[in-house]
This record gives sequence, C-alpha cells and structure tokens, in this order.
Amino acid sequence: MEIIWFGALAVLLVGYFALEGFDIGLGILLPVLGRSQEDRDRLVGAMAPFVLAGEVWLVALVGVLFGAFSTLEGAVLSGLYPLVVALLLTWIVRDAGLWFRRRADGAAWRTLWDGAICLGSAGLALTWGTTLVALARGLSAPLLAPAGVAGGIVVALAFCLHGWTFAAWRLPGDPAVRGARRTGRALLLTALTAAIPAVLAVAVVASALIEHAAPPETLTTLGAIVLPCVPILVGAQVWVWRTFSRGALPTFF
Amino acid sequence: MDVVDLARTQFAVTGSLHFLFVVLTLGLAPLVAIMHTRYAITGNPLHERMTRFWGQIYVINYALGVFTGLVMEFQFGLSWSGLSHYAGDVFGAPLAIETLVAFFLESTFLGLWIFGWHRLPRALHVTCIWLVTLTAYASAFWIMVANSFLQHPVGSVEQGGRLVLRDFGALLTNPNLVFALPHVISAGLWTGGFVVMGASAYHLFRRTKEQEFFTRSLRMGVVTAFIGSLFTVGFGYAQFGVIEATQPDKFDAAPEAALGLMIGIGQLLQFGVMFLLLPLLFRNLLARWRWLHPVLMLITPLPFVAAIAGWLVREMGRQPWLVYGKLSVADAMTPGLSRTAITGSFIGFAGLLGLLAIIDYLLIARAVRRGPEQVSLGMPDRPAEPAPMPAHSL
Repeated sequence: MEIIWFGALAVLLVGYFALEGFDIGLGILLPVLGRSQEDRDRLVGAMAPFVLAGEVWLVALVGVLFGAFSTLEGAVLSGLYPLVVALLLTWIVRDAGLWFRRRADGAAWRTLWDGAICLGSAGLALTWGTTLVALARGLSAPLLAPAGVAGGIVVALAFCLHGWTFAAWRLPGDPAVRGARRTGRALLLTALTAAIPAVLAVAVVASALIEHAAPPETLTTLGAIVLPCVPILVGAQVWVWRTFSRGALPTFF
Repeated sequence: MDVVDLARTQFAVTGSLHFLFVVLTLGLAPLVAIMHTRYAITGNPLHERMTRFWGQIYVINYALGVFTGLVMEFQFGLSWSGLSHYAGDVFGAPLAIETLVAFFLESTFLGLWIFGWHRLPRALHVTCIWLVTLTAYASAFWIMVANSFLQHPVGSVEQGGRLVLRDFGALLTNPNLVFALPHVISAGLWTGGFVVMGASAYHLFRRTKEQEFFTRSLRMGVVTAFIGSLFTVGFGYAQFGVIEATQPDKFDAAPEAALGLMIGIGQLLQFGVMFLLLPLLFRNLLARWRWLHPVLMLITPLPFVAAIAGWLVREMGRQPWLVYGKLSVADAMTPGLSRTAITGSFIGFAGLLGLLAIIDYLLIARAVRRGPEQVSLGMPDRPAEPAPMPAHSL
C-alpha cells in the first residue's frame, strides 16, 4: 500500500509539471509572444481550457500528502514556509489574471491582468524550482541558496520551452510563434523535459516518503474509496484533451 | 496578539472569505444545472439565456472559492503541523478524498462546461454541469466529515501520542455531521435563492426590458429560498441535542452575539419567505409590486451574514480545542512558527484575497447590472487563425 500511495504522489507531481508546466510557461512568455492584445487573446484562448484541469493535480497532491503521508505534510509545508506562501500568492495572482482579464471592458483592464498572468507565472515557476531544490537538499539547509535560485531558473526555462511548444502545437503557423508548427510528439517531448525536475526531486525524497507513509488502516481505507474513481479521473482528463486540442478557441478567459 | 492568535485569525479570515464564496457556489450550481436541463429538453432560448446569465455569475463567484480554498488547504500544513502530526492519519483521509476525487473532478468538469459551449453535444454539456454540482456537494460532504471529526473525534484511538484510524464508518455517521451537513447545504440553497431573488428584483425595479426573464428568475429564487430556509432552520435547531450531548460547553465558548445573530436572521427571514414572499408568487404579485423590490435587494446579503455567524459559533465553540477534548489549538500550532512568518503570510493572504474578493463582488454586480444581453459565458468561439491584416498600400 505504501508503494501505491508513493506512486500516486509521484504521478501527481510529475503530472502537474507536465500538464500545468505549459500553462505557466506560456504565461511567462505572454508579453514576449503576444505583442498585440489580439495575439495575447489567442494565446490565452489556446491554454484556457487546460488550466482548470491542470492545476487540480497540485491540489490533489497536497491532499494525498495530508491523507497518506500526514507526518510529512506539516513538516514539509511548514519547513518550506516562505516558499509555500510565495507559491500560493503567485498561483493566485496568475489565476486571477486568467479569470478576470475579460470580465470588464477596456484595453487597460485586460493589459493589467495579462501582466498579472505573466508575473504570477514567472513567480510560480521560480518558486517551484527553488522548492524542489530545497526539498532535495533537506529541510535543514537554508531555503534561499544559489542552488535554489538556479533551480528556479531551470524550471522556468523548461516551462517556457514547454509553453512555446504548446503554442506552436495548438496554434500552428500562428504569427505569435513566428509561424512555427510543432507536432503532438514534440509537445510530449517538452512535457517530459518539464517533468524532469519533478522526477529528480521525487527520486531523491522517495525513501523518506515511503518511510513516513500513514498506517495500513488509513491507506487501505483511502485506497478503497479512491482507486475505483481513478478511471473517472483519467477519463475526465482525456475528455478535456480530446475536446480542446484543436479547432476554434474558446473566448471566456 | 501572540503567534497563536495571529495564526487563528489568519485561519478565521481566510476561512470566512472561503465560505462566503462556497456557500453561493453550493446554492447556484443546482439552479444553473436545472436551467440548463430545461434548455436542453425544451430548446427554449429563454432557458439558454437564463443558463448563461446565472451560469456566468456562478462562474465569477467560483473563481474566488478556488483562490481562498487553495490557501485553506495549504494552511493546515503551514500553521498547524501539530494537527497533521497528531491526527493526520484520521483527519487527512477525508481531506485527501475531497481533493483527489471531488475537487479534481469538479474543476475538470467545470472547465469542460465553461469552455464546452458550441463544442460538446448538448446532452453531454448538460451532464457536465450536473457532474459539477454532484462533485461540489461531494466536496461539501468530505469537508464536513473532516470538520465534524474536529468537533467530535470518533472512529479513532490514541496510540503512542497519535490518533490511529479504527472505524472510518464512524466518521461518516458522526452525529456532528448528520444534521450539520444538510444545514450547510440548505444554507447554500437559501443564499443562492436570495442572490437570484435580489438580482431579479433589481431588474424588475429598474423596469429593464427583461421582465419575463426576471419574473421567472424571481420565482425560482423565492422557491429555492423557501426550500433552503426551511431545511436550514430545521436542521439548525436539530443540532442543539447533538451539541448538548457531545460539546456541552459549546455555547459558553462561542460568542453569544454570533449565535443570536444567526438565529435572529434565520428565523425572521424564514418566516418572511414562507408567509410573505411565497404567497406573493400567486399571479406574480411579487414581481408586480415594485415597492417591495428594494427590500428584496437589501436583504440579499443577510444569508451570507448568517452563514459566517454560524461558522464562527461552530468553530469558536470548539475552543480551546482543535480536536475536541484531545488536541488544543496551542499544541497544534507549528512548533517554532515565528511572528515574522505568520505576520507576513497573514498580510499577504488577507491582503490579496481581500482585494480579489472585492473585485470579484464588483464584477458580479457588474454582470447583474448588464443583464442577460451582455453575457460572455457561451459566446461564440473565435477562429484559431489570426484575423487577416488589412493590406497596406506601399
């Protein structure tokens, strides 16, 4: 049972980096690729339907940490206190940009929230890299070391690559990506690239995680309720990707 | 204030903000699902317009529910690591199920619903909003399971200084859950009904051209508020016996004013809806009696006030315990949590969420004011190709 729940945690973290990484990367690149409002609207429209289905992987990850690795949950989140606060604040700023940018008229309003998307995404990527390095080094090391900053930059670059590839896949030939076209295979490749930092971090903390798994009663109960739902969870995600991979762009975000 | 008080206040402020938005989500989701179902069955454009207008208000409100909810989820680990250390093997299970199953699906299906207009077949699109409703209620269920455990820690035994899960079924049949859950869900319906009623009254009072739209909406709002208020009050009073048995000193610890406020608002409004507003639906008298509409607008916020007062009673009545009778709030606080850390996060969370909450309410008010003619939810998609550039002459 410990191995199954460790696997669930690993899949959720790696899945988050692969499936939310491009949204964050594209958010960082928004002012660079989207010089005009029209371009930014297309870029946001391309990623919009994937954001809600992508960020839930992190929400679920923390839930699993609480339910199946409870002694670690408090220690890890409080041990990384300033990083977790920064992660939440930047995440919320990014999301607010997406939800609010079209809720009022006026170029200034939309530009303001596009700025929030860019700054929030950049902060989120940098915080993630720093957090993974801090986790890998152990919680007793200082949180803000040069290695952490370097980790932040690496994650941000990987997300940007993933985000750019997503845009060139979803909007092939679009002026925002200078006419580039990328295949689904290329997108899969950058998804794997974006997920590498998460894979490395999980590998480093694997034994500590498994050691701190909750007792069998808890894990069995959780498994009995969650495992039958896994096909529905996967099915819902597949449905999102099948529905929004091509065709016209939704306009709500 | 010492560090524990700061951490408690941060939790109370973010939790209250969260519930302000969640309570409306719980109330509006089934109403939007019913409207959408009517549209799918009849094809009547009025039902489509109702779905999009009220659906947009639901969705704008939902955004803040998510933002505040994220802070709630992570805050347990940030400020209260003693809770996960002592009771995480029990308390963590319902939270894990809530995030991994209920919220995961709610958010995924909501994305399909919001962006799936013109894309999903009508029946599947309606299925999405029903799945959103179902999973929202599942979320409420699991959160209330977790909260009820804090009020009355059943199904577990203490071993080596930590709680171990013994009987998960006892968590699901916790006496502090069985009346509180329908109380909370009914309060959501009541709040949703009042928002629909108040917004409809605004348009009827202003004599905008959407008279039929808002006469029908007003009727739906009043009926929903009637059902919601009846069950909220009923399941509210039903809890006194349970509280007497499980938390006898609850009302000594809880602020008396909050209890009085909740009961005062609840009882007064419930009678008002039942004996005044509901009968006035006869021949649409309520929609036609324009002098009553400002009153309907003014009382719209009251269910929100009562709901927050109710949570304050439930949570403050648990003091000084975090897990009633077993783990005190002070002992649950993260060891070594510094004043700088908690002050910084408090300013950050309360400042950002407070600001976004105000913006969100202004956007909801704006969407109500603009009416069904200018709704962006369900607007046509746009082509993936950029608009052709106008040719410049050389």
